[in-house]
Amino acid sequence: MAVIALSTSQSPARRDLSVKTFLPLMAPAIVLALFFAVPMGMMIGISFQSRDAGALTLASYSRFVNDGLVLVGFGRTVVMSGLVAVCVTVLAYPLAYYLARSTSRWRTVVLALAIAPELAGVVLRTYGWLIILDDRGFINSALMWVGVISEPLPLSKNLFGVVVGLTHVILPFGVLSLLTSLQGISPNLERSAQILGASRLAVIRHIVLPLSVPGIISSLLVGFTMAASAYATPALLGGAGFKVMATMVYEQVLFYLDWPFAAVMANVLLILMLGVAFVGSRIESRLNQNLHL
Amino acid sequence: MKFSAFCTGVLIFVTLAANSRAETLVVNSYGGPYERIIRERIITPFEAAFGIDVVYDAVGSAAQDYAKIKATNGRPGFDVVVMTASQSLEGCREGLLMALSPKNVPNLAHLSPAMASVAGPCGAVHEVQYLSLLYRKDKLADPPTSWAALADERLKGKIILPTFQNTMAAYLVEILSVANGGDLLDNVEPGFEAMAALAKRSIGFEQSSSIMENYIKDGQVWAMPFWNGRAQLLVDSGLPVDYVLPKEGSIPLMATLNVPKNAENRRAATKFVNFFLEKASQESWVTGYKVGSARTDIDVPADIRAKQITTEADLKALHLPDLAGVAARLSAWGERWERDVVAAAN
Amino acid sequence: MNRLLAILFKISLAAILAFITLPLLVVIAASVSPTPAVTFRPSDWTLGWYAALWDSRWLDPFLLSVKLAATVSVASGVLGALGAYSVAYAKCPGHTAIMSFLLSPMSVPQIVKGVAIVLFLSSAGLFNLLGTPGLVVAHIVLTLPFVVRMAATAMFNFDKRLDRAARILGAGPAQRIRYVLLPLIRSGLFSGMTFAFILSFNNIPISVFLVKPGQTTLPITVINHLEYSLDPVLAAVNVASLLFILGAILLFEKIGGFSAQFHGGSK
Repeated sequence: MAVIALSTSQSPARRDLSVKTFLPLMAPAIVLALFFAVPMGMMIGISFQSRDAGALTLASYSRFVNDGLVLVGFGRTVVMSGLVAVCVTVLAYPLAYYLARSTSRWRTVVLALAIAPELAGVVLRTYGWLIILDDRGFINSALMWVGVISEPLPLSKNLFGVVVGLTHVILPFGVLSLLTSLQGISPNLERSAQILGASRLAVIRHIVLPLSVPGIISSLLVGFTMAASAYATPALLGGAGFKVMATMVYEQVLFYLDWPFAAVMANVLLILMLGVAFVGSRIESRLNQNLHL
Repeated sequence: MKFSAFCTGVLIFVTLAANSRAETLVVNSYGGPYERIIRERIITPFEAAFGIDVVYDAVGSAAQDYAKIKATNGRPGFDVVVMTASQSLEGCREGLLMALSPKNVPNLAHLSPAMASVAGPCGAVHEVQYLSLLYRKDKLADPPTSWAALADERLKGKIILPTFQNTMAAYLVEILSVANGGDLLDNVEPGFEAMAALAKRSIGFEQSSSIMENYIKDGQVWAMPFWNGRAQLLVDSGLPVDYVLPKEGSIPLMATLNVPKNAENRRAATKFVNFFLEKASQESWVTGYKVGSARTDIDVPADIRAKQITTEADLKALHLPDLAGVAARLSAWGERWERDVVAAAN
Repeated sequence: MNRLLAILFKISLAAILAFITLPLLVVIAASVSPTPAVTFRPSDWTLGWYAALWDSRWLDPFLLSVKLAATVSVASGVLGALGAYSVAYAKCPGHTAIMSFLLSPMSVPQIVKGVAIVLFLSSAGLFNLLGTPGLVVAHIVLTLPFVVRMAATAMFNFDKRLDRAARILGAGPAQRIRYVLLPLIRSGLFSGMTFAFILSFNNIPISVFLVKPGQTTLPITVINHLEYSLDPVLAAVNVASLLFILGAILLFEKIGGFSAQFHGGSK
C-alpha cells in the first residue's frame, strides 16, 4: 500500500492522445516492417510451398504435428527455455541489485565481470564449459580424484549442460534488464521504510520486488526468447541426443535443404514466443496501471 | 537529425562496398591450411596466366554457401564455389547452378566419366577424397584392415562417430551396409544395425570435424572414420596416426567447383574451373593438398599415389554412390539415425 | 537478522560471480597454452599467440566488427528510443500489440532471419545491399527489440508527475524530452545499446550470409579458422578483443552510462 501511496497518479486524458503518439513510432516500425516483417512474410509463404514444385500445400504443417521427433524437440525447447529464463532471472537479481545500489569501488569490477563473458564469443565460451563439464572435465576429474564418485556424472550432452551453458550466455542480458528497472526505484523509498522500522527482508519483499516487476518480466522474456532461438550452445553442449527447435531449424536449412519445413518450425517458434511476449506485456501493463492507479 | 546521422553511416558503408575493380573473380572456399595451399598452387598461377584478379572468400561452410546461392537465386556474390557432388546435383535440379560441359570447360573431357557422372552436369570434380579409417599407431600395434575393426573389443569407448549432419555419417551407414551384406541404397538395414552397435561402444557423436580431430589428437579416441585428405593433414603434422582404405572398400567424397547461375563474372569463372582441371594444376593440387583426382592421367610421386585415388584401378576400390538416391532418402535416414543410432548410444 | 542477510547476500554474489568467471578462466588459460590442450601450469604459459594477433588478418576484421557494432548500436539506440517512447510512454492505441511486434524479431532463430533478409534483398533486386549495408540493416533488426525492451522498462518506471511539473512550469515538448525524459531513461537506453553492441559484435548466424569477401567480421574470421583447427590463437583473439571492448565500456561507464542514478542516488 505504501507503494501505491508513494507512486504517481496519472491523468486519464493522457491515454487517448491523438495520432501524435504514433509519430515517433514510424521510424522503427518502417525499418522492422521492411526488413523483418516482409522477409518473414516471404518465409511464411515458403512454409506453404511443397519442397519441389512450389505448389501450395499444408504438407509441412501436417508433418510437424505428426512427427514425433519434432514434437519432442518442441517440448524440450519449452522446458529448456523456461528453466533458463528462471535461472537467469534468479541469478541476475542479486547482481543487478548490488549494481544498482552499491557505491563501493568494487562496483565497477562487478559490472565488468557481469558483462565480460558476453564479449568472449559464444563458441569459445561453450568450449570452456565443455572442458569443465565433460566426462573427463574438471568437475568429474576432481570428484573422481577425491573419490566422491567412481563413474563420471552426466554433466554435459544433456539438459543440465545446456541449461548451465545458456544461463551463462544469457545472464548478462538478465542483469542489464533488471538493472534498468532497479535503478528506476528510488533508494529513498527503501530508506523511509527502514526508518519506519521495516526489516531488510520486508523492504525487499514489499518495496523492491513489486516495483521491479517490469524488470523481472523483461529478464524472463529476454531469457526465454534468447534461449529458445539459441543455436551454438545447445548444439555443442546438448550433443546428438538433445535436439531443440533451433538446432532442427538449422539442420533443415543447411543439411536437409527442406526450407518449407524449416519455415514451419520457425513459424511455430515465432507464434510460441509472440504468445509468451504478449502475455508478458499484458501482465506488465496491468501491474503498471495498478501501481499508477 | 539522428536518423540522418544513421543514413550517413549506411552511405559510407555503401561507398566502401561499391569500389570494385575491373576484371575480378570471387572464389569462395575454405580457410586454414586449405586457403594457403589453394592460393599458392592454383590461384597465383591462374592470376599470372590470365591477368584476372582473384578475390578469395573463405566465409561459410559449403552448406552455408549453398543456402546463400539458394536465397539469392543464383547470385550470391561469389563466382566460383567449392561444394560437394551432392550439392552440385541438388543445385542443378533447382536450376541454381550453371551447366558445365566440355564446350565451356574443355578439360571436363579428361575426367573419369564414372566420377563426372556422379556429380551431374553442373559440377566439375576437382578433388577426390574417400572415407578412411584413421587410427593411432601408438595404441594399435597392428593396423586395422577392415571396417569391422571399429567394433573390436580393444576399441570399446575409444571411438567417436560423426553426427548425422556431418556428410560422413550417411556414407558410413552405406559402407557398413555393404560390408555387412546390404547395399548402398535400398537395403541399408545391415548398415543401421552395425551403426547402432558401434554407437553403443563409442564415446559419442560430434558434428564438427575439427572437434573429432581433437579427440584423436589427445589420445581419448584411438580410431574413427575420417576423410582421408584431412587424415593426411594430421599425419603430416607429426601425430602418431595413420589411415587405411579398408578392404571392403570405401565411398568417395567428391569436391566440385560450381558456378552459380547468375554469377557476375561467369566467363572468368569457367576459365578458372578449366584451369583447375588442367593436368598440371591437378598434379600440383594433388601433391600440395594431398588428395585424389578424377583425372587418371596425372603423374604424381609414388608415396602420394599409394595413398590417394589417382588411377582407374584405385577407382575400382570405391563404391560410387547414387547421390540423387541418397538425397531423396536423407530425411528418412536422418529420422532412423535419431531413433536407432543415437538412442542406442544413451 | 539484517547482518545475516547481508552476509548471505555477499556469499551469493560471490558464487554468482564465480559461475560467470569460471569458463572465462578456461578461455584465458587456453589463450596462453602452448598447444590446443589447455594447460594450467603457469611455467608452460606463453604470450606468443597474442603476438600473432598484430596482423591484418585479425586486425582488419576486428576493426570492421567494432565499426559495425558501433554503427548498429547507435542506430538501434535512436530507433529503439523512438519506439519505446510511443509504446511505453505515450501509450499509443494498441500499444501492447505494437510492443509485441517491435519485440518479435527476438523470437525468430537467427538463421531464419538471415535467410529471410537475403531472400528479400535478392528478390527486390537490391543486390548491391548484400554485403556491409545489408549487414548493418540485419543487425539493426536483430538488436532493435533489445533496445526497445530496455528503454521501455526504464519508461515504465518513469514518474510522470515530473513531466507534468515541467509542463506547468512552461516547458515545451522538446525541452521536456531533452531535460526530463532523456536523462531519466538514459541508463535503460545505455543498457540497450550495450546489448546491441555485444550482439552485433558477436554475431555469426546472420553475418555469415551477408559479409563480403575481404570485409569479414571477427567472429566469422574466427569460425572460418575453427573449421580447420582449434588452436589457441582463437582464444587469444577473443581475450584480446574482450579486453579492448571492456575498456571501451568502462570508459563509457565513467562518462556516465549505467551509473546514471537520478533519485538522489548517493554517488
